[in-house]
Amino acid sequence: MDSVLGNWPSYDPHNFSQLRTSDPSRSSKMAPATYHSIHNRDVPPADQVINTEHKNILLREIYRRAEEKIDLIALPSPSQLTPKRAASDNLIPEHGSKQPRVST
Amino acid sequence: MFFKSSNITARIFDRQICTPAPGTSVHYARKFYENLVPSYTVYEVECPDHSFRKFTDDGQYLISFSRNQQELIVYRPRWLSFSCKDEDCDNHDLPLKAKRFESFFTQLYCVPLASCNELICKDFFLYMESNKFGLFATSTAQVHDAPAVGGAVQGVPSIEKITFHLLRLEDGFVLDEKVFCNDYVNLAHNLGVFLYDDLLTIVSLRYQIIHILQIRDSGNLVHVRAIGEFCREDDELFLNSNAQGMALSDKNKQQQLLGNHIYNNIHQAQPNPGNSFLSGIKQRLLSFMFRGLWNEETDDTLRVQKIRQKFYFHFQDYCDLIIWKVQFLDRHHLLIKFGSVDGGRQVSRHADTHPAFVAVYNMDTTEIVSFYQNSADELYMLFEQFCDHFYATSRNSMHMNFISSHSNNIHALEQLRSIKDKASSSSQFMKKMLSSLPFSCQSLSPSPYFDQSLFRFDDKLISATDRHKQSTDHPIKFILRRHPYSLRFKIKPGPEAGSMDGRAKKISWFLFHPVLPLALSVQQTLIMQPPLNR
Repeated sequence: MDSVLGNWPSYDPHNFSQLRTSDPSRSSKMAPATYHSIHNRDVPPADQVINTEHKNILLREIYRRAEEKIDLIALPSPSQLTPKRAASDNLIPEHGSKQPRVST
Repeated sequence: MFFKSSNITARIFDRQICTPAPGTSVHYARKFYENLVPSYTVYEVECPDHSFRKFTDDGQYLISFSRNQQELIVYRPRWLSFSCKDEDCDNHDLPLKAKRFESFFTQLYCVPLASCNELICKDFFLYMESNKFGLFATSTAQVHDAPAVGGAVQGVPSIEKITFHLLRLEDGFVLDEKVFCNDYVNLAHNLGVFLYDDLLTIVSLRYQIIHILQIRDSGNLVHVRAIGEFCREDDELFLNSNAQGMALSDKNKQQQLLGNHIYNNIHQAQPNPGNSFLSGIKQRLLSFMFRGLWNEETDDTLRVQKIRQKFYFHFQDYCDLIIWKVQFLDRHHLLIKFGSVDGGRQVSRHADTHPAFVAVYNMDTTEIVSFYQNSADELYMLFEQFCDHFYATSRNSMHMNFISSHSNNIHALEQLRSIKDKASSSSQFMKKMLSSLPFSCQSLSPSPYFDQSLFRFDDKLISATDRHKQSTDHPIKFILRRHPYSLRFKIKPGPEAGSMDGRAKKISWFLFHPVLPLALSVQQTLIMQPPLNR
């Protein structure tokens, strides 16, 4: 009998009598179909490099909390004690002309 | 469950056919320590009169010092073997040679480290596993009430000469030495020194400098940088050159004002930053605190008020803070403990009287990353969740990364939580826990018998830390954490029949071999000779 396991001795040779590897229709049912992705969302960027993070988890957490505290409030640096005026949203106006000087 | 059966033979067969889950090979191998335990005690072994310090973390050497604290003696641990032909082998007594110290330890060499007026600090030892180098310290006597000269901090004692010796442990050859004169480094239990990979930090308490040294493979101790007065390597050069320029312009002004009179005592070629500037690290710290408080408010009036209340009100106290202890968090970051001059060497019960602060400092950017008071909730959360990362074990030695702590072991975490729930004040509890930060280097034994997922034991009587514990006559039990939850082995310090004098206070300490099922216990009373048990 031509079984997958070869001619190894077995407790009961009839145990494997159902197995027919030479049967083509059966083998195609048994082999799972290979999945081919039909979308391109999971293609990695061409320049992607995967590296181990050098900072350990404790330091990452300490930095994350420090950055959270900084991000909480938008801030000017404390060395400038005089109040700053915010820049206008449109820094480069479409018409390209100079901005009028803000009166002090 | 990795193993289905607790029988050692069944476990060995299981090991042949089952691969452990990814990343668990150390845990899988450790489970065999449930079967291989130190089940036999040899009491009161006749041994050389040395003070035994510890086994190195790879189990290759036993470090001991002579009684007069002048010599280092290194032993190689061996394993005794004998065979028994009787049927009932378990109850058979061990042969006589098992009761001898020499059967378990071979002396490799005896090296004198301390000269006549020096003593080896027998509580200090650091091991660099990758090169098998050992770091030892010798010092002369301490001088209390030393005058605070040359930038020294008032109130910190002085030692005339502290020498760090780097030895190759294979043969006891002294590779390099580093000497600190008229300085003070906390040597007991490695408090003032921390080793991470090949980087060493030595805290000079007297001059408030953190020395960073590198241990090269050749055995040289190379000075990398000194953080304290200056943070960057070229700070001193910059200040010197500017001071010279300023002094020259001062001198010119003086000459213009006062004609030809030259005041020599005003012109100084060397800068004296101790008088005019705060030290570099202090400046970093104060500016970090200022910026943090400033950025907490958007409104300018509130901002100024906050700065006044929280910063300037305590300004002098912040300026007077000194560095007490330092550890590495990784190759670029230091965890520095700041405290007042009086309160630095605080025992945990006095933690509340003196405030202490902990800062994370990046050596490369010379910036303070964060700063906490040592009762801060945030710091406690980091401590609870990432305790094993605070231990900062080298990446090279794998087994040191598996020491049980409450961050990597559920049983230890439960123990911590139960203590926290029982504590009367949670802030006192947090302060007490956080007073152990920064951790001391290599202070925990990597022995698998202290792995909380394998054994349960009373940690008031025995633990992985290498400190003396109070000793009782009752044996210390190690109970299995897993089925069948039974007593696996006992350790009984002291003489076999129990001590004669029940009232004398006894302390004991334990040296566990990191790999072999071998442990030494040394018990000491105030009167008796220390009996050595194994």
